Amino acid sequence: MIKLESVHIEEVRGIKSLDLDFHQSTFAISGPNGSGKSGVIDAIEFALTGQISRLMGRGTKGLSVAEHGPHVDKVKFPDASFVRVKVLLTDLGKSVTITRKLKAPAKPVVEPTDAKIQSALAEVAAHPEVALSRREILRFILVEPAKRSEEIQTILKLDDIGQVRGALNGAQNKLLTAHKTAIAQVKSNRDSLLVHLQLPSLKAEVVLAAVNQRRELLGLAVLTELTSDTKLDDGLTTAATGEAFNKQSVLRDLKSASDAVHGAKDAAKVECAEILLDIEKLKVDPELLAAVQRRTFIEKGLQLVDGPECPLCDHAWKSEAMLRAHLDAKLAKSKEAQKIQSALMANAGVVSQSALRIASIVANMQRLGTALLGTELSQSLTKWKADLDSLRSGLSSVEGIIGSRARLEAGWPSVPAVMAKQLDAMTKKINAMPDQTSTVDAQTFLTTAQLRLADYREAMRKEKASEIAAAAAKLAYDAYCHALETELNTLYDEVQKDFSKFYRLVNDDDEAGFTAKLTPDEGSLGLDVNFYDRGLFPPAAYHSEGHQDGMGVCLYLALMKRLFGKRFTLALLDDVVMSVDSGHRYQFCKLLKTEFPETQFIITTHDRLWAEQMKSAGLVTGKTSVAFHSWTIDSGPMVESNVEIWQEIDKALAKGNVEAAAGALRRHLEFVSTHLADQLGATVSFRADAGYELGDLLPAVLRRTKELYGKAAESAQSWGNTSAKTVCASRKDSLAALNGAAGVEQWAVNKAVHYNQWANFGKKDFAPVVTAFKSLVTHFQCDACQGFLYVSPRGRPETLRCPCSIVNMNLASKPKAT
Amino acid sequence: MATLQQQIADKFLTRLAESKEISAEKIEKLKLALSANKKPKAEDYIKIFSEPDHGELK
Repeated sequence: MIKLESVHIEEVRGIKSLDLDFHQSTFAISGPNGSGKSGVIDAIEFALTGQISRLMGRGTKGLSVAEHGPHVDKVKFPDASFVRVKVLLTDLGKSVTITRKLKAPAKPVVEPTDAKIQSALAEVAAHPEVALSRREILRFILVEPAKRSEEIQTILKLDDIGQVRGALNGAQNKLLTAHKTAIAQVKSNRDSLLVHLQLPSLKAEVVLAAVNQRRELLGLAVLTELTSDTKLDDGLTTAATGEAFNKQSVLRDLKSASDAVHGAKDAAKVECAEILLDIEKLKVDPELLAAVQRRTFIEKGLQLVDGPECPLCDHAWKSEAMLRAHLDAKLAKSKEAQKIQSALMANAGVVSQSALRIASIVANMQRLGTALLGTELSQSLTKWKADLDSLRSGLSSVEGIIGSRARLEAGWPSVPAVMAKQLDAMTKKINAMPDQTSTVDAQTFLTTAQLRLADYREAMRKEKASEIAAAAAKLAYDAYCHALETELNTLYDEVQKDFSKFYRLVNDDDEAGFTAKLTPDEGSLGLDVNFYDRGLFPPAAYHSEGHQDGMGVCLYLALMKRLFGKRFTLALLDDVVMSVDSGHRYQFCKLLKTEFPETQFIITTHDRLWAEQMKSAGLVTGKTSVAFHSWTIDSGPMVESNVEIWQEIDKALAKGNVEAAAGALRRHLEFVSTHLADQLGATVSFRADAGYELGDLLPAVLRRTKELYGKAAESAQSWGNTSAKTVCASRKDSLAALNGAAGVEQWAVNKAVHYNQWANFGKKDFAPVVTAFKSLVTHFQCDACQGFLYVSPRGRPETLRCPCSIVNMNLASKPKAT
Repeated sequence: MATLQQQIADKFLTRLAESKEISAEKIEKLKLALSANKKPKAEDYIKIFSEPDHGELK
């Protein structure tokens, strides 16, 4: 798979122009709501897959990548909107640049490129699930089991497997139907041969006796055995036959036809009645009828699905898999419709086989030819045969069965009104013919017998072949289902283990015994979780929303691990980490670092504190994080960095815009103070509304830092570490000096001053304030990694350090000897 | 790592081979069909199951 090296975004979503360098590492993007963070995720997702999840799928009707992907000011100039992303293809060890324009999402320009690179990128493009937004994570947790199954099947690409199973099942059903038809054809041909031979069975000796009786009369060699290539009329020349029909045989065929005509009204009567009852049920229950029609429609639609667009309404789904899962779920819901559909098809099959039997009798008659039968009977037979074939065709689908209602009510055989009379007339005509000589009778008996035997043998050959094919299809389908079930059970077992493990890692303080159970059952996937050893319950039963969110992230990670294994190298988490409550964020960072060391996470969060905590936890660094402090429609996201915030303030001052500079400084100091208070464990007067102000925080941070420096000095003293003691003293002095220069007590504590009045300063008055506070803030940062100082472990700190450990002050004194 | 699809396909083909009720020739055709980069169709499988094996009398 891939890792991101850098991205250039131009006129996409809310971004005008932006460059970010990811260093192939986990990267954090923080900023308030509406600052453009998600636009970055959208742009990366678009560059990799040609899709933007937020503009597709449920709840996005009327939205499209083409129309709503470009910056709002470039909608009419989509050519100007593009994303260029540089990625490392980890499997190939090659870096490539992908440039994808909003105007042509399906035609990215890749440089360099070759077949292997194209194949690797196609694999990436097929996995839009690398992008996960907060609104999506709950789809794993707070959904009904059938829906969860859909979602998880989609993410695991189980749809592809479902398609194979569906195709194998389709093959099995069609071959089974073909086999049934072949059996019916064999029976029909066998009956036809028996009627002609006037025998009760087709035992070889009995057939040979009947045939040899004629052959001896004709002076032909007696047949001693009946093998698969024995010809009953062997030795008989065409010229010798003279007449083309055997009078007695024709009379028997006519009788068979007459019997069929007279018995037609009772053929498959029960099944026909049941079909009519079912159709009546559908008539009085329009919803059931609609469900049955929908099933047929959906089944047909599923066959036509060829991409993420609905074949009926062209609505673009997030993926073809989502569309298929949606249609499959609809099919699964209409159980009653499925029952009636099965009954209709089964009964129609019996009627169809009866129609085939009559059609075979008619076909035998047709073979006698117009010369013997006369034009009228010949035409009637042709019409009837076509009519029966048409009926059989209609009975092969539910729609056709319902459409044949009138025909079924009137009597499905629909014997032509004149047929009985015509057959009677023909019988009389044949009877009136002079009897054939025994020679001609024997000759035509043999030729007709051979014809019918050949038909019978061919039907048996086809039946045997169709039996083998149907058996093979059934065996294959069963084997595939078995393999599928085995693998899925293993998969769900692994996913539930990983999910539980990840959740325990994040919540090790209060849910160390957490377990979960995934229960697959006929297209649904139940999820139950342990609630403090009180039993297994649905996630929404007792767990808080925050915990449910955390479960969503953990389940996502478990699924991705199972889907990609070690090739899970990239995930775009859009405000997803907010799902983890503040008490468990460090553990979440630990989870990502320890369980997914090879995965590059691009993480956005609207909580700047959280972004800094990611730095403290070593998940990201100053180089691999960026903060957006605001956004405008003309500028896009405004990037704030430790370097750039001061540049921004200086720039504003240079323009004489003290108000803007003061605003930026105040914002930055509020953020730094909050962060440091948290990182250093400063004691702040409690506020129930959590509305801490700069005046509450910064002095507390200074006191705490002074205290920590004191502890570090004591520790150094106890260990006899003179140089460390000197560093502590130096930092303590430096802090005191910077505090004095900045006038923290004056600016920060005085609320009236805090809320105001910097903005009313002149440029020259305010510049020294900026310089002083910049120096003070810089004091809390490491020169090398730019990270802010923090204590570790939290609660009972033993060190005061920066993320890269260049600043690392021991707080633990040497134990005194007892 | 083999994909889930590949794992299922391998297990499926192994099971068929063990059953000895489907010829090696048909199993090979199924393997090709499963690895083909196209949507599986019932008709493709019907063709495989219905074709006589090479050398078999038609």
